[in-house]
This record gives sequence, C-alpha cells and structure tokens, in this order.
Amino acid sequence: MNHSKLSLLVAEWEFRRYFKWKDQVLGLMFFVVTGAISYGVSRIMGGERRPVTVATSGIELASPAGGRVLLVPAPADSGARVAMLGDGDAQGILTRRGDGTFDLLVEKDPRYLSELRALVANHVGRERLAASGLKESELARILAPPEVKVHFTDPNRARTGKAEKIAAGAFQGLVLLAVFTSMAYLLTGITGEKQLRVTESITAIIPPQAWIDGKILGICAYSLASICNMVVGGLLLAFAAKLAWGFSLPDVLVRPGVILVLIVYSILGLLLWNAFFAAFASTIDDPNTSTRTSIMFLPMLPVVMTIMVLRDPDDLTARILAVFPLTSPSAMPARLILSNPTVLEILVSVGLLAGTIWLVRRMAGRVFEIGMLMYGKEPTMREVLRWTSAKSRRVNPGV
Amino acid sequence: MEPVVQFDRVGKSFGQHRAVDNLSFSVRRGEVFALLGPNGAGKTTTVRMLVGVIRPDEGRMVVSLDSRTTEVLPPDKTGYLPEDRGLYRDIPVLRTLVYFGRLRGLEKDEAKRRAVEWLERLQLLDRKDERVDALSKGNQQRVQFIASLIHKPALAILDEPFTGLDPLSQEFFLSLVSELREAGTTIILSAHQMDLVERVADRVLLMNKGREILSGSTEELHGRLDARPRIRLTLEDMNTVPALREDPDVEDIVIDSDDPNEAQVTLRDGAAVAPFLTRAVTRVGVRSISTEPPRLHDIFVRAVREDDNRRSGSSA
Repeated sequence: MNHSKLSLLVAEWEFRRYFKWKDQVLGLMFFVVTGAISYGVSRIMGGERRPVTVATSGIELASPAGGRVLLVPAPADSGARVAMLGDGDAQGILTRRGDGTFDLLVEKDPRYLSELRALVANHVGRERLAASGLKESELARILAPPEVKVHFTDPNRARTGKAEKIAAGAFQGLVLLAVFTSMAYLLTGITGEKQLRVTESITAIIPPQAWIDGKILGICAYSLASICNMVVGGLLLAFAAKLAWGFSLPDVLVRPGVILVLIVYSILGLLLWNAFFAAFASTIDDPNTSTRTSIMFLPMLPVVMTIMVLRDPDDLTARILAVFPLTSPSAMPARLILSNPTVLEILVSVGLLAGTIWLVRRMAGRVFEIGMLMYGKEPTMREVLRWTSAKSRRVNPGV
Repeated sequence: MEPVVQFDRVGKSFGQHRAVDNLSFSVRRGEVFALLGPNGAGKTTTVRMLVGVIRPDEGRMVVSLDSRTTEVLPPDKTGYLPEDRGLYRDIPVLRTLVYFGRLRGLEKDEAKRRAVEWLERLQLLDRKDERVDALSKGNQQRVQFIASLIHKPALAILDEPFTGLDPLSQEFFLSLVSELREAGTTIILSAHQMDLVERVADRVLLMNKGREILSGSTEELHGRLDARPRIRLTLEDMNTVPALREDPDVEDIVIDSDDPNEAQVTLRDGAAVAPFLTRAVTRVGVRSISTEPPRLHDIFVRAVREDDNRRSGSSA
C-alpha cells in the first residue's frame, strides 16, 4: 500500500474515532436551543425594560414619549427626597446646582444614565440656543458636517464591505476554534496512544510520516466537520429567529472569490497548526503534567498580530504579515477585505504557506518518529530541534 | 532449510550503552526460532531492528520471505506482537481488528471476514462489538494476537508473548504458536520464560548484554546439559543446610527463592543419588524429596552467570 493510501486510511480511522453523529446532533441541538433561548430572552428583556422615575429639582424636564425615564418634580425637603428613594417612588434625584452642573442622587448604579444625560443635554442645549437668539434651523445648518460620498471602482464593493468584514471575522473565529479543537484531540489522542502503548504496533506496520499525515488530515477533517456543524446550527438559529421574530439577514453580498480565499487559507492554516501540534504532542507523555502546555496559546499570536493589519492594511508590516506563513492565514484574508492585494501577493503567500506546511509536516514526521517511541522523559527543546533534521532511524518502508 | 532472515554482525548503541553487539544469526523457513535472555539482554532491541522500527548502527539484515531478497521485512508478510502491547481501548473489538488488517494491506471485507474467523476460533465472537477495555487482560491479549496475525503472515515475530499471562493463558498461547508452526509460519519468539520456550522452539539463541552466548537446536543444547538430576529437598529446618553441605557428594546447594524451605542440591560428577539421599535423611529432617530431569533453564542460567563472571573478570 502506498503512502497516500495509508495516510487516507489513518485519516479515516482518526476521523471516525472522534466523529460520532449522535454527539454532533446533540451538540447541534444544544447550540440551537441555547442560542434560541438567549435570543428570546434578550428580545423579551429588551422589549420590556422597566421604567425608572427620576425626581428633578431646578430644571423643568418633560418626560419623553415612549422613553424609559419618567421625570417628576422633586419635593423641596431634602429628607422627603431621600425618602422617595428609600420607598422606591423614585430611582434617582436630579438636582441642578447654581453653577449649571447637575447632581444625581441614587441608591444603586443608574443603568439609565445615558438616556438621562441625553435628556438633560437636549434641554440645556435648547436653553442656550434660546439665550443666543439663533434659530434652531440656523444652528443645525452651521453644525451640519459636509457630506463625503464614497464611490468604489467596483460598485459591488459598496454592498460587500460590511458582509465581508463579518465573514472574515467569523472565519477567523471559527478557524481559531478549529485549531484549538484539533490541538485538544491531537494532544489527547497522541499522548493517549503513547500511554496505551499502541505506538509500536502501528509504527512496525506503517512509516511514521504516513501515520502523522493521516492524523493531521483526519483531525483536520474532524474539526472542519464540527465547525460546519456549528455553522449549520447558526444558520438554523437565524432561520428560526426569522420565523419567530421576523429577524432579517442584511441584504449584503460576499464575493465568491473572497469566500474561496477564506476557505483555502482556513484549511491551510489548520493543516499547518495540526502538523505543528502533532509533532509537539509526540514529545510529551501526559498533557496534564507536562510543563510545556503553555505552547498551546501559540495560535493566538498570529490573530493578535492581524490586528495590526486592520489599522493599515497596506503598510509594510501588514504586507509582510500577509505573506509570512505563520501569520498569512489570518492576515491575508483581512488584507483582501480591507484592501486590494495583488494576485501575485496572494500566490506568493499561498505558495509560501503550502511550502511551509510541507516542511513542518516533514519535520513533524521526524520528531514524531522518535518522540512516539520515547517514554518516561520529555526531551529538551534542543533535542527536539536536533530530531527535525536527523536521519530516519527506521528501515521499514511500510506496506 | 533455507534461511528467511539473516542477521549479519548487527550492532546498536544508545548513547554509551551497547544494546546489541556484533550479533549474527539466521532463521530458517517454517521453524520456531527463540531469542532468549535475561532482562536487558538486547532481545527487544534486536526485535525492533528486525521489524524496522529502529535502524542498526552496523551490520545488515537479509530477508528472503518470498522470491525477492531485501534488507527489510515486508509488513504485509510479517506479523509483530510487540513487548509494549496496547490497543485503542475505546474502540470496539471488531473495528480495531479490521483497522489493523487494513493497515497490513487487506481489503475491508477480507479483514472483517478474517477477524470474525479468528474471534470465533478464540471464543470472542459474541464480544466483537464491545469496547476493548470491556475485555479481561487475557482476552485483550488474544485480540492483540489476532491483530498481529490477521493477515496470515509468513513470518510472525512475537516479543515476550507469555509475559503477564496466567498459566492457562500461557498454555493457550503455546498451543497457538504450535498451530502457526504447523501451518507453515516461521516464528521468531523473544522471551525469558525458558521452560515455556523449550516446549515449542526448534532452535534458540541465548543473549546476554547484547551478545550471543549460546545457540543451537534444542536437541543440541540438551546434549550439552549436565546430565546430573536436580534433587529438591523440603527441609524441616533450614538451619540444617550447612550439615547437608558437609556431605562429600554435594557440589552445590541453592535455596529456592519461591520456597525458602526448599533446597536444590547438585551432586558432584559421578555421585549416585540413592546413597546421598540415605545419608541426607539420617542427618537432617526432610519433609519431601523430588528429583527433576535436567532442563534448558539450568544451562541458560549457568551460561549467563559464566558470561557475567567472564565480563566482570575481564573488566577488573
């Protein structure tokens, strides 16, 4: 049996080892039900916000129609004002001081403060307008900002911008989730195989490179399937919300090319991290006692660095991050949406990423070959680095 | 008979430790070839080099399992039961066996058919859908055994197959080894239970500290055995052992580590058993007497001790 067939056989085994329809359906149901409950609760809570009463002194404010804040005059006696708070007749006492500032006396955190501030600012603004002798329309004309219209060379871009940003953000989040899911399964799976002593039975049959390739592919497929399951759950939730509450998806477009690039970078990024973590997992015996597990946070780094791209997608740093293989799966999609990277830049970036995956996979195979047969002690990082370029210790070419 | 595997001056070191040193042997088609030796003798390293998991530092291996001559064992013609045994514990038995069969190059249906056949033969068919960890240790060993042999290999390499088994299971595995040999499978057996190996092996190679110290067919080795029987005496009082040692026909007395009341007596060459026993029962209190024919175990123990003494002498 050749290398590819062996790898696919292992990939199928790894996928089926973890992918269970029952778990996926249960997870999907849990996701949908939890989402529906959260959305329903927020709708109900949002629709029925409790009104608050604020007693005012030194300012004659009218209660806004349909507003949450009900304004009533405060009693003159300070003791009676405090009593209003204590009795629950008012949730705040607003007093205007001589210098024009306001005091708000409350018993607990005023969650309505922004609404009250707007009312006060509006009232004080009208007072000042009246004192200046200007008409309201004149003031509005003076303060109105000049309009700047944006015209894209590709008119579709006007409709795609927001959607693509959302899509890119969602992809980043989902890919990160897939990376962490893969990492968890690779760590527990590989260290479990070492602990169960399955290793030698398998390595005597197939080359370690075929085994690790199969693992990388199988776990990658499992993570992607789980993520697809979540996406399906999200769409079901949106559809249910549409039926129940008339929730509508925005009328926007995501360019197919962008979706394609996002998918390509997501899969390549996942493969790269899976190769890295498969090798890493083979160097430890037990993730619960290993001192190296902080390395698990490494995939966060490129995502954090991508924030730099968001500030200016065309500066040198952003361009470098978009072609550097460790950061390109995060940075290039961001650049693609916020800017216009050239086709050459995308090709170079994908080429470098694919080359790095091949290299990391080869190095991972070497580390895996030695690490999987090593029990009882964790090798030093120097040893692991030496293994990456070591000659294979095996003579067995596989079936 | 033609050799199917030849090991030619093979050596392997791990750091400063010489695990296998200039080892040469050949395994003939259809025989049971036993690698014997105490713990740390280098048996498992030898086996790992055989199956290709590790590469020798020097020497070469020639394999002629079929018409080709190669330097590696073809995995589809080789079965391997490693010393470090393990299976996926959370996976059902049948699925596990089908996977191992497919890894060895079988088609899925064929792997399933053979797995069912083996499970039925080993009385585990009714448990095929249970997870491996639901089985007893002995039954897990049986599943591991099937996983190693499901593809009907021409050569089976069994590393410490009797370790951790109760006597009944040991007998069961011995009978399986015999069956395999009758079916024409060549078997390389690595073990340290010499009494068990003696019953199935055609030829043996005794290793100590990475080197061969003795080899030959079991008949040849029996020929080299000390013909003197071993006399086992269960004594009423172990303080009387010095009195036994004073007997002019006694060469050596060893106290059994499993039974501290039992003394194993070796007589000098030419000494008769009956006069010694007559003297012994008059000198010391004896509860029981038994004699055993000579076993390979004894020659192995002696060979290893002599080798150890020789090495410590040469290093001193």
